[in-house]
Amino acid sequence: MSSVLERLDRLPRRNLTVLAIKGLSTLVPGGWKNITRADELIGDVLGSTDPELIRQVRARADALSRARHEGYGRALSLYDAVNRSQKAAGGLRLLANIGGALPLVKRVADLTPSSETLQAADLSLKVAAEMLAFTQVNGLPGDSFGDFAAALAEYAGEARVRMAALICFDALLPLGDQALQRLDGLLGGVGKRDLHQLPAYAGLASRLPGRGDEAHLTFLRRGMDQWLGWAGGFSSQLGLSGQKAVQALESTLGPWQGSFQQMATFLDSFTDTYQHTGVQAVARRLVERATAEI
Amino acid sequence: MNRTLRWGVGLLLLVSLAVGAFLLLPFRTWLPGGTVADVPTSQVVNGTAFNRLFPEPEAGDLLVFTQEKRGFSEARLKHGDQVKALLAISDVTTAPEARRKFEASQSRLQGWPLVEQGPQATALLVADRFQIKVIGQGDGLEADERQELIGQFNLKGLAALEPAA
Repeated sequence: MSSVLERLDRLPRRNLTVLAIKGLSTLVPGGWKNITRADELIGDVLGSTDPELIRQVRARADALSRARHEGYGRALSLYDAVNRSQKAAGGLRLLANIGGALPLVKRVADLTPSSETLQAADLSLKVAAEMLAFTQVNGLPGDSFGDFAAALAEYAGEARVRMAALICFDALLPLGDQALQRLDGLLGGVGKRDLHQLPAYAGLASRLPGRGDEAHLTFLRRGMDQWLGWAGGFSSQLGLSGQKAVQALESTLGPWQGSFQQMATFLDSFTDTYQHTGVQAVARRLVERATAEI
Repeated sequence: MNRTLRWGVGLLLLVSLAVGAFLLLPFRTWLPGGTVADVPTSQVVNGTAFNRLFPEPEAGDLLVFTQEKRGFSEARLKHGDQVKALLAISDVTTAPEARRKFEASQSRLQGWPLVEQGPQATALLVADRFQIKVIGQGDGLEADERQELIGQFNLKGLAALEPAA
């Protein structure tokens, strides 16, 4: 298995994913820098370009990411699982979009999970994966719940573009501008059967706390509640909406004439935004630790 | 069924059982490579013990804990939205090579060896075991500001820490 920094070095410098994030980042103050070179990241954290120091940090970071107990690799595998299932679901929906017009393949359209409930469940899985990855990478920082909440907020603030992408691509575009207000209700309607229709659930079920679908649903709803409180404030602060997201994306991807839902499907099928920014976020935390330990 | 075939089938069953057990049962945690440098986690001080030894932030500043693992705890010193520095305490048991840089060090802080690493990082080794590091971020910190920050850690408490049994 390749280490976190090797994965970072292999990230694309310029492709559809990068363009989509770049477009969206125009909505977020501070913007986004596509760091795809480990040495650049280390130099940034360390405040030095001394090759010997950078080599030491890199060696330490590789040792840390190889150790299974440290959880850096596990966080990445969470992101990979979510990404795979997002691609699978996106592909199915894409097929349904095309196939809806042809009578022979129309049945595919009936099979695809495209209802809003499923979209809500999908988002809740992503949020859960995010929280699990957070604890894998950062442990439970601080001595009190307040400390932990502050650490979460700090992480979310650092990953602002990542969170904006999650809000726009997985909530506002497919579910409409009232998505964040409606999500609670939508998630309430999610049953065990819906959960099993999600490809992501099969991959994540063993990693979610609690045994059985009921416990998992409770965990997903609770996690979503927490996240919604934060995401609501964040999106109203930035004034995020489906319209604005599409406009921002058009600035890099070119004009778009389909509906918002089709845009969401397109992004699901052809971009890896969640995985791309996830690797960068994990790599930064790993390098911060390695720099402190050399 | 002849005798060799029976033995063959029996062996095959045994092997597949063993392989299946190895893959399915949680034996993997026993394999080497689970922990950093293969040091058992019980020999490493848990990061929780470090948290209370961090300095109290000055008025207007904020200390946000960001990572806590076995043998490691890190916090950010923030002023408003600006990150001023990363503060960390780590147990060098898993990183013996980190000790080496202190051997040549001449400067001392409260009796412990002090080392500058590049223009933005200062490290202190307490009790030959715990490394405190301050790394300036953003606009950066001067060396004496970093040393002053290190001095505000509870060094006596840190030196008195014992690995959990």
